[in-house]
Amino acid sequence: MESGLTSLLSVSIDFETSHLFFPRIIHWLMGGLFALVLVLRVLPFFAAVRRGERTLPILGESMDKFRFFGSLALIAGYFYLMAVVGNLFPYTGYGFLFVSIVFVFLMSLMYMHTRTTRKVVTAAINAIVAPSLAWFILAKLFQITLP
Amino acid sequence: MSMPNVPKTLGASVLMVGMAFGSAAALAADGPLRGNVRVVIGSTSTGGDTYQNSSIVVDALAEKLDLNMKVDAVGASSAFRFLDRDPRGNTLMIFHDQSYLGYLYGVEGYDNIFEKYTIGPTVAINPGNAYLVPKDSPYENLDQIIAAVGDGEEVRVAIQPGGVSEIGFSALKNAIAIEHPGSEDNLVAVNTGSQADKNQQLFDDQADLINGTVQANEQYTRLPEDDQKAMRFVWLTARQSTIEEAPEEGLGQTSREQLLEYVEPNVTVTMGDENFTFDKEFFFLYNKDMDPAIVEQIDEALTEIYAEGEIQQVQKNSFFIPNFKPSDEAAEYLENKMSAYEGIIENIQ
Amino acid sequence: MLDILSLLDISFFLLAALGALIGIIFGAIPGMTATMAVAVCLPLTYALGLHHGLALLLGLYVGGISGGMVPAVLLNIPGTPSSITTTFDGYPMAQRGEGERALRVSVVASVVGGLVSAAILFLFAPLLAEFSIKFSYVEKFLIILLALTVIASMSRNMLVGIFSGVIGIWLSLIGTYSISDGGNGKTRLMFDFLEPYLFEGFSLLPVLIGIFGIATILLEAEDGVKSGLSGKEIKIGKGGGFSFGIFKGRLTNLVRSSFIGTFVGMLPGVGGSAASVLAYTQEKNLSRDSSEMGKGAPQGLIASESANNALTGGALIPLLSLGIPGDSTTAVLIGAFTLQGIQVGPLFIPENADTWYVMMTALVFANVVMFFLMFYAIKHIAKVVLVPQYILYPIIVMMCVVGAYAINYGIMFDVWTLLIFGVLGYLIQKVGLEVAPLIIGFILGGQAEVYFVKSLESFGTYSIFFTKSPIAVVLWLLIAASVAFSVAMGLKSHVKRRLETSQ
Repeated sequence: MESGLTSLLSVSIDFETSHLFFPRIIHWLMGGLFALVLVLRVLPFFAAVRRGERTLPILGESMDKFRFFGSLALIAGYFYLMAVVGNLFPYTGYGFLFVSIVFVFLMSLMYMHTRTTRKVVTAAINAIVAPSLAWFILAKLFQITLP
Repeated sequence: MSMPNVPKTLGASVLMVGMAFGSAAALAADGPLRGNVRVVIGSTSTGGDTYQNSSIVVDALAEKLDLNMKVDAVGASSAFRFLDRDPRGNTLMIFHDQSYLGYLYGVEGYDNIFEKYTIGPTVAINPGNAYLVPKDSPYENLDQIIAAVGDGEEVRVAIQPGGVSEIGFSALKNAIAIEHPGSEDNLVAVNTGSQADKNQQLFDDQADLINGTVQANEQYTRLPEDDQKAMRFVWLTARQSTIEEAPEEGLGQTSREQLLEYVEPNVTVTMGDENFTFDKEFFFLYNKDMDPAIVEQIDEALTEIYAEGEIQQVQKNSFFIPNFKPSDEAAEYLENKMSAYEGIIENIQ
Repeated sequence: MLDILSLLDISFFLLAALGALIGIIFGAIPGMTATMAVAVCLPLTYALGLHHGLALLLGLYVGGISGGMVPAVLLNIPGTPSSITTTFDGYPMAQRGEGERALRVSVVASVVGGLVSAAILFLFAPLLAEFSIKFSYVEKFLIILLALTVIASMSRNMLVGIFSGVIGIWLSLIGTYSISDGGNGKTRLMFDFLEPYLFEGFSLLPVLIGIFGIATILLEAEDGVKSGLSGKEIKIGKGGGFSFGIFKGRLTNLVRSSFIGTFVGMLPGVGGSAASVLAYTQEKNLSRDSSEMGKGAPQGLIASESANNALTGGALIPLLSLGIPGDSTTAVLIGAFTLQGIQVGPLFIPENADTWYVMMTALVFANVVMFFLMFYAIKHIAKVVLVPQYILYPIIVMMCVVGAYAINYGIMFDVWTLLIFGVLGYLIQKVGLEVAPLIIGFILGGQAEVYFVKSLESFGTYSIFFTKSPIAVVLWLLIAASVAFSVAMGLKSHVKRRLETSQ
């Protein structure tokens, strides 16, 4: 009995494959929990949706499609262009500086509900001052590498 | 804001941007190396020897070339990737022997640097790579360890796998294979991580011998024997001639003379026809397609810097041994070094 | 003693204060951390000399850790990883218009944590270092396990919470089994074509600010970015509803959390975010009225902030008495010593008594300066929430980019990580998974793996986790108590809900 328990608990890990040991345990845990969540939470939820008591997330909800997908597109474009422009001026941080100015301005415009001249001018000033300040302090003063 | 001011402001900002560009361009006017230069290193630590040594060299170089240069501790795999992508010379790399040892040990993310990159000049040696035992260890010296393993005793060595920390272990294993064939498997690697982890293995009695450094472990060797943390050097992998270059006062309260007790001829690890030594050397790596004129420019600048003699003092103060070799010489030297170690690693597999 | 006084001139104190100020600003910017503040100022110390340099760096350290509370409370973005638990109660309070009160509670907790840990450092450093080396991989794994038990007690639904936590752990394992932790350096959980990007896995800081910052902005965008807090009534001025009375009956919490922070800080490799998570767990388990925690209870802030500032003194213990950094910031700090040719190790304190006293002075002074700077600036800082969203959000995104890019000294993939985890964070909240357990799983997952696998590699049996040492047994008792407590809490709230629905 004693030796049975000892051999049950004993484990030998081959260093060459040790990178898979812990992930395997996590996979089993995750699989088991997922099955439980499926049975106890997801299935009852779908039943409730069919009865019309609940709505599906995302699909069944109202959303501001313009601002949501606009934000996604703007952020993705911002990240992409920053690297591209930055590559033209290696390690100067100009990629960050120039693209940020455009990004901050466009995002401000998108999130505004009423576009009065005053608001637009504030946004424009902000779009120029904030990135320039960040660029100057971080890239110039502290010599942090920026795109 | 009245109307006429707008073009004026615009003009001013255009002028400012122009000046910003202009100054960047002006800096690089007199050499093939242009604009801002980023030196990536193979370590992610800004407290480690690679960063410290790189910043000494890069600061001197930036002053000499009148360029903006900046050391970034991005780590090996990222550093190689940055270098791969930039043939313009705005990205340079400084790393040490790990760059080819990782390849020899088959670590993911390492390629043959001699094929993939241009090897730049070597700049310095960190002579501190060491092996230590607990102060109350039954083993007096490395010879006793080799003999004990030859007699079938198991000796566990805490190392970080896949590079600089493992090469001494491999050499030791190889020496045992030569002197006591068949018993080398009694020398067992305990694979662990940082210096703290390696020390901890010793405190936990999970290792009999650990890899360490003079810099990180010197104070531990001065603790009284009844302290659980006390250690003792048994082997420094550096060449005798390297340690002889060290400042006479050595490091901490361990003098150069004391350090010399742990290198050849006092401690020897055979490779067959000659003795194994390992100096951790720092050198530049360049993108293969980078303009050869830049290689030359950096070689020249460093030659001048080393001729002035100031940098050697700075390096020695930080316990580095200055070791400048221009690119061509460095490439040949390092390639020979690699093939020697390749033999050892193949031997024990 | 007199020669030490001669080392402490006006510029010494000015530098410590300046450090604290810059540190607070770094910490307060989402994505900028104490570690980064110390790293960028490190080169300056060469010119300043050792003692003045240390004054500046310690100021930065203390300020940077404290500053993290500001975005955590006001914007729900942890300014530094260790302020993650501050968001749990701080942001709900800010949403109720009590941002200023939350910040003041946090500042007081911070300064207490910082000073308690400084005192412990001063009095017991060598002794504690001796104790800390009793913690091998086995005990460290159990500490992480104990911290992970918070997942069970803090989730709204235990099953979903644990599932989220395991997903977090899974995400943290992507990349190589790092050689620098003693792994074999092989990649897992990814496709080959992703290897150039995911070689080192996802970095913690971009994940954190992505999942909190960018996801929050996406959720707001979906709602059409209506004017949020600026419409509501905000309690500002006249202390914003703050009085020291809040701390009445919270002394145990304050002291316990400070001790936990110091203790976790001194364990090399564990440090950082685990400290505040563990303190939060213990407060949740041990206090009688913890049901409000996570919904905006000051006691959560007290636990979190006192623990994460106590980290500062704690992490300095192994640095100064073993030569081993206790967390990522002290790992950079070690550079200040090597730059000056000073060795840190077990003999540092006896051999450099002057430097040791100077450091203690700087640490205490920086804590005091931090307190006054923050306590009286809060009135103004809290007004951040009044800035219209169309100005604030683009700046937040921009600063998140800077932080993510700079954390590993300039890696573009870290910026994309922001977006990936921003979208992921959005989806998680939409499908009803829980963010906080997931992020705790992510923070602790990597360490859990290394300590677990390495323990088994050394000892070759699972039983070692129970038989290694008396410390292991104590830790198991704590884990059992923590689990039992969360089960009991779960059942209680279940019954309560039943009663409410049946009425």
